[in-house]
Amino acid sequence: MSTLEITKGTVVNRRQFLATTGGLLLAFSFEDNHHAAEAQGLPGTQVTGFVRIGADESITVLVGGGEMGQGIYSGLAQGVAEELMVDWETVQVGPVAAGLSWLSGGSTGIRRRLTSMRTAGAAAREMLIAAAAEQWGVLPSVCSAAHGMVTNSITSETLSYGSLAVRAAAMPVPSAPPLVPSSAFRIIGTSVARPDLPSKTDGSAIFGLDVMLPDMLFAVVKHCPVFGGTLRSTPPRPPGATHVVPLGNAVAVVATNTWQAMEAARKLEARWNFPAGYLNIDSAVIRSQAQNLIVNGPAVVAESRGDVAGAFAGAASTFQRNYYVPYLAHCCMEVLSATVHYDGETCDIYAPTQAPNAVLGAAKAVTGLPADKINVVPTFMGGGLGRKFEVDYITQALKIGMALRKPVKLMWPRPEDMQHDQYRPMALVRVRAAMDASGNITGWAARTATPSILGQRGPLPPSGVDSQAVEGLVNLSYGFGSRLIEFARHPALVPVGFWRSVGASINGFVTESAIDEIALATGADPVVLRRRLLAADPRSLAVLNAAAELGEWFSPVPPGRARGIALVWSFGSIVAEVAEISVPVAGTIKVHRVSCAVDCGMAINPNSVEAQMQGGITHGLSAALWGEVPMKAGRATTRNFSNYRVLQMRESPQVDVRIINSGAPLGGIGEPGVPPIAPALANAYARLTGRRVRSLPFFPGATMGDD
Amino acid sequence: MYRININGQDHDVDVDGETPLLWVLRDILGLTGTKYGCGIKVCAACTVLVNGEPEKSCGFSVAEAVGTSVTTIEGLSPDRSHVLQQAWIAEQVPQCGFCQSGMLLAASALMTEYPNPSDSRINDKMDNICVCGTYQRIRAAIHRAAEG
Ligand code: FES
Ligand code: FES
Repeated sequence: MSTLEITKGTVVNRRQFLATTGGLLLAFSFEDNHHAAEAQGLPGTQVTGFVRIGADESITVLVGGGEMGQGIYSGLAQGVAEELMVDWETVQVGPVAAGLSWLSGGSTGIRRRLTSMRTAGAAAREMLIAAAAEQWGVLPSVCSAAHGMVTNSITSETLSYGSLAVRAAAMPVPSAPPLVPSSAFRIIGTSVARPDLPSKTDGSAIFGLDVMLPDMLFAVVKHCPVFGGTLRSTPPRPPGATHVVPLGNAVAVVATNTWQAMEAARKLEARWNFPAGYLNIDSAVIRSQAQNLIVNGPAVVAESRGDVAGAFAGAASTFQRNYYVPYLAHCCMEVLSATVHYDGETCDIYAPTQAPNAVLGAAKAVTGLPADKINVVPTFMGGGLGRKFEVDYITQALKIGMALRKPVKLMWPRPEDMQHDQYRPMALVRVRAAMDASGNITGWAARTATPSILGQRGPLPPSGVDSQAVEGLVNLSYGFGSRLIEFARHPALVPVGFWRSVGASINGFVTESAIDEIALATGADPVVLRRRLLAADPRSLAVLNAAAELGEWFSPVPPGRARGIALVWSFGSIVAEVAEISVPVAGTIKVHRVSCAVDCGMAINPNSVEAQMQGGITHGLSAALWGEVPMKAGRATTRNFSNYRVLQMRESPQVDVRIINSGAPLGGIGEPGVPPIAPALANAYARLTGRRVRSLPFFPGATMGDD
Repeated sequence: MYRININGQDHDVDVDGETPLLWVLRDILGLTGTKYGCGIKVCAACTVLVNGEPEKSCGFSVAEAVGTSVTTIEGLSPDRSHVLQQAWIAEQVPQCGFCQSGMLLAASALMTEYPNPSDSRINDKMDNICVCGTYQRIRAAIHRAAEG
C-alpha cells in the first residue's frame, strides 16, 4: 500500500483522476449511510469518495477530508479494503480534491464515514463477482472473492480484479451489498501501517507550505495589530517587495522569495484604524466581565433536570467554586498558507485545509468563477487542530492571486499566525453542588461565561445556547440527583474558533476538577465517588476502571509523587486518564506517566488510536501547564513559541493506552484524548501539594528559547 | 553569488548573503523537506546538518554555509533506507509529519555522537518541538535504530 497523493510532482486532482480510463470507478456519498453510485459524468457534490479498480490491477481509494496526522486515510481505506477482499499492501490511498470533500474535524472523519466506505467496497466486490459470473456463464452465487481474485467454486478457475474491471463497470450497482461480519474482519481493527508515513520520513510529503509552481511569487501577510482594525490606505511598496496588496484588515507583501517578503514586510509602513472600544480587549477586563456575568447574568438555560432549588434547600452541605481557562492559540506546527493561481478564467488553489468545500465556496465568492473552473487541491496539513476549518487565509490568498494573476503562495509568518488566530475561547465557570448527609450529590449547577464560537459565525439558535460552549457541561452521565446548566454569552470581541476538542477542553477541566474537590471534601476516593455516580453507565464505568487499573490507582504511590484521575465524554468516545506527577522544583511539574483508557466504540486502527491519545495528552499538557494568550490593548501578546511554551522531549511522559472495544457506535479519536489531562493533572497536584489550581495555566508567563 | 554544497552537490545561488539557509533551500533550490516553524531558532523544524552537526537553518545564513557541507532530509538517504527512517516507519512515528525532517536529522546527529543513547540523553539533546506529541515514539524509534 502506498500513497498516490501529494508527494512531489504528483499532485493528483479530480480531473486527472476521472480522466484515467480502463476499469471500474465507483463514486459514492458519505451522507446517510449511502450506497455506491456509479460515476458516469461528473458526480455531484454529495459524492465524497472513490474506489477504482484499474485494468492494470491497481486498486485506488480516494478519501474526502484532510489528513493532518489523525490517520484518516488509512482508517477509511481499511473499510474499503476489508469489503473488497483485497490485501492492504495492494491498496493506494489519496485525497479527493474538492468540491467532493467534507470537513475534517469534530473527530467525525472516520466515525461518520466508515459504513459508507465499507458499502462502496462491498458494492465494487459484488460487481466484480457479477462480471466474473457473466464471463463464466455461471450464477454469481458460485463465485467468491479473495485477495483480489474471483474464484469459480465449481471449476476452481480464477480471474483477477484487473481483468474483470472493465466488464464490472457495466454491471448494475447493488444498493445494499452484504457487509463482512465483524467476526471475519481481516483489516478493520488491525494496526495496518499508515500509508502517508513513508513520505513523512524523507521530506517528500507536500504540505501547504511546500507547494511550488513555476514562476511563483511569495507573499506574507501583515495584519492590523488590533482585532477588528482596518487599513487606512494602501501603503507604499517597501524596498525588496514586488507588490503590496491591500486586504481590508491586512496587507500582503509580495516578493521573489519568502525571506525577501518577510524582510520587506518588516519595513512596511501601514496605517490602521482601530475599532471603538478596542482597549477593552484586555485579559483583566474580560475576566472581570465574566465574573459579573457569572454572578448577575443574563444566562440562558442549557439543561435542566429535576428540582435543583429543592436540592440546595435541603442539602446537608454545599460546594461552590469558580474555574477559569484562558484563550489558547492553535499553534499548528505548520503556519497558515495557501497557494493560488488565477488567470481570469480558471483558479487553482492548493491548500492545507480541514474544509475543502468551504475553500471552494470561498473561491466562488471571491473570484465569481463557477465551480467547474475552480480546482481545489488539498495538501497535507502540518496540523489542523481546528484552525484549518477557517478560510480567512484562503480568501486572502485568492485576493492576492487575483491582483497578481500569477501563481502566488501566501504564508502567515509565525507571529501573524499566533496573533491573528481564532482562539480557543476563555471561560469562567461557576460550579455549585448540593450533597446529602452521606455525601451523595443531589443537585449540580454550572454556569459558564464564555464567548460564543457559533455566535461569531451567525445567529445563535432560538434557545440562545451555544452548543459548543456547553459541551462537557450538559448531558453528563453522572447520576446527579438534579441539575441546572446555564450559558452566559461573553461579549468579548476576540475572534474565537474551534480548538481541538472545543468545549470539552474547557468544561472537562471544570467538571472533573469539581468532582475531585467534592471527593476530597467528603472524604471519598475520587475513583470510588465516580463509580457511584456512574453506577447506571457500565460503559463509562469500564473506562474508569480500566484507567484506574492501568495507572495502578489503588497501589501505593512512589514517594514524592501523587496521582490524579479524570474522565471526559466527547465526540462519542469516553476517555479516562491517570496522571502520576511530582514537583521536583517549585514552579514545575514533572509528569512521570499517564495511563489512558479509551472506548471509541471500536478501534479501526488501534495503533492510530494510541497515537492520537498520546498526541492529545501532549497537546493538553502543553495547554494546562503553560498555554495562554494574554490580551492587551486590543491585541494578542503572544509572538512565537518563545512566549507560547509547548512540551518538548524532556517533558514528554510515558503514555500507556488501553483500548476498550465496546461495540458502541464509533466515536472520534482525534480530539477526546485532550480534555481529561488538565483535570487529571490538577487533581494530582492538589493531592501532592494541597494546592488546588482552578485557573489555567498552571504556570503563566512561561517562555522558551532566548527571544 | 554564493556557492553552497547541499547533499554532496554544489549550487550557486544569487541571493542576499544574510538570507537564511532555510529559505535558500526551500524557495531557491526547491528542497522543501526542511521546514519553517518559528524563524527564531526555537522549534528546530528547520534543522539541517552542517558538517554533520545539527544547525537551525532559519538562523544560519547562506554566507555562513559557504565552504561547509550541508545535509538536508532529502540527503539522509536516497531511498528511505537510513536506519532511522526505517525505525520511524516501524514505530509509526509521524502524525502530521511537519516536524519530522528536523527530528530525523537531530536524531541522526545524536546517534553519531552516542550510538546507543539513553532516554535521558535523548531528552537532553533533542529540543525539537512536535506539536502533535510524537516524542514517546521518537524515543522508541531511536532505541530501535540503535539496536539495529
Ligand atoms: S524555524 Fe528554525 S528553529 Fe523554528
Ligand atoms: S508530527 Fe506533527 S508536529 Fe510533529
